[in-house]
Amino acid sequence: MLIEGKFTLQAPIQEVWDLLFEIDTLAACIPGAEKIEPIDDRTYDAIVKQKVGPITVRFKFITTLTEIDPPRHVTAEGRGEDIGKAGTFTQKTSVDLTEISEDSVEISYSSNVSLVGRLATFGERIMRAKAKQVGEEITKNLQERLKSRIAS
Amino acid sequence: MIRDFEYFSPKTLKEALTLLDKYQDECKVIAGGQSLLILMRQRLVMPEYLIDIKGISELNYIKSDAKEGLRIGALTTHRAIEKSPAMKNGFSVLAEMEHRLASIQTRNWGTIGGNICHADPTGDPAPVLIALNATLSTASLKGKRNMALEDFCLDYFETALEPGELLTEIQVPAVPPHTGTAYAKFNIIESDMATVGVAVSITLGSGDGMCKDIRIVLGACASTPMRAKQAEEVLRGRKITDNLFKEAGQIASQEAEPISDISASEEYRRELVKVLVARVGKEALARANQA
Amino acid sequence: MKKELRLTVNGQPYELYVKPKTLLVEALRDHLGLTGTKRGCNSSSCGACTVILNGLAVKSCSILALQADGGEVLTVEGLASGAELHPLQEAFLDHGAFQCGFCTAGMLMSAKALLDENPKPTKEQIKEGIDGNICRCTGYNSIIRAVAAVVNGEYKEKK
Repeated sequence: MLIEGKFTLQAPIQEVWDLLFEIDTLAACIPGAEKIEPIDDRTYDAIVKQKVGPITVRFKFITTLTEIDPPRHVTAEGRGEDIGKAGTFTQKTSVDLTEISEDSVEISYSSNVSLVGRLATFGERIMRAKAKQVGEEITKNLQERLKSRIAS
Repeated sequence: MIRDFEYFSPKTLKEALTLLDKYQDECKVIAGGQSLLILMRQRLVMPEYLIDIKGISELNYIKSDAKEGLRIGALTTHRAIEKSPAMKNGFSVLAEMEHRLASIQTRNWGTIGGNICHADPTGDPAPVLIALNATLSTASLKGKRNMALEDFCLDYFETALEPGELLTEIQVPAVPPHTGTAYAKFNIIESDMATVGVAVSITLGSGDGMCKDIRIVLGACASTPMRAKQAEEVLRGRKITDNLFKEAGQIASQEAEPISDISASEEYRRELVKVLVARVGKEALARANQA
Repeated sequence: MKKELRLTVNGQPYELYVKPKTLLVEALRDHLGLTGTKRGCNSSSCGACTVILNGLAVKSCSILALQADGGEVLTVEGLASGAELHPLQEAFLDHGAFQCGFCTAGMLMSAKALLDENPKPTKEQIKEGIDGNICRCTGYNSIIRAVAAVVNGEYKEKK
């Protein structure tokens, strides 16, 4: 499934770029993130827990930054699985930063997530709708972080 | 394969509430199991304790009163509602909705309470009940609560039920005079879940086609059944015309928040909302005129 | 921990000890050896597992066996009386209302439940009566014709 969106921030492009690479910040913005650990300078190991009604999943996954073009573009790819063996997924996400002005940046993201397993067959509708919700929450959290960072 | 669990089958509400109070978050309640067992078979839900309430006969009833309306026990099966003589006049929409819900086998065993508590946003009963202004009661060892059904559905598969609480009854108030309610859903296969569902209830002011009140409820268009309140405003307090139905459909289509999935794209769902709101609205009006 | 399950199946009383997670279809097939009832989909979609419980057609793969405790179950094995087939079975044979046969037990039980409730259904009502049962082979028309033939009185119940 494809999850995409864009939003604008009032900040210089370099500041936004730097923030996206702060692991602790990222971890705080992803709902249900239990840990995000760098393995090397391009690879991260993470565990994210999500609950939809009666179904709880804990995804353990590895993400590698395959393209880094500061401060404009980053592509991340990865795979992961539910610790309870309900499903596995692969993802490819690209994030683009476009300078609108000296103090204004548009961030657009496009994430292609492929979910396989029982979670996909029986939980597809649920996961898809939830994924959209989670994507919206992440961007909202990022925006708030950036706003308060830039304000201070 | 379902994972092993410890099983209890209380025969009274009190027994069930005591068990729920003891096990809180660690237990899951099963009524007809027509939704829950699908998840349990796939190990997507694996409770340690299962409280089977299907045998609690005191929650299985349909009571009808001319002034009060309907009181439906949470463990009433869909089939019982479908066949009940109480579902006449203003309540016939409930029987019609049940008739197209899933299949006979599912309706024979699944319960209305289980359906509401499962809170699948594509579910048929909730939009119709909300259009009819339904309320509900819950119980726990701490006491009872009452609320509008509209406020009970919170999110995908999430309700306002707290640990230790059971849904006990659904109340559908007596239908005001000159009111008509209709429901339609679009699906690819008959007896499938709704791709989009629309319930409309119209109450006419006495004489000359003025819309005194209207409720438009969309199913499968958001994380819960949603009232298309902006669309309602197009008609409320105004003399009803076909153009207004068209406009309401247009606005509801924009208000809705559907997703794209294997059954339909977001655009197609919006188109379905536009068409169905107008179509179901006209049907509701026709029924209001006959009422 | 296993629990006691008392069931009357096709007129015979049984006492079983089952794990609570046992589905009714598993109790019938694996514990009682009544393998006429089929598990077609494991997703509660196909109806091949349909049996009649306490007079109601239900999907036995979607009911915990313990929920049927104290109840009466009719499976496809209970339709015939000894060597004499049930009118529905005769009609299915005569009208070619099955090919691979996998949906057939469920179809017969849904049809029986339909006729028990409404002995004179219209063609539309017959279609509604079996709409919880999927058939991959026949295209349904022969099944509907078979049921309609029974409704028409072309097959007399011999009892």
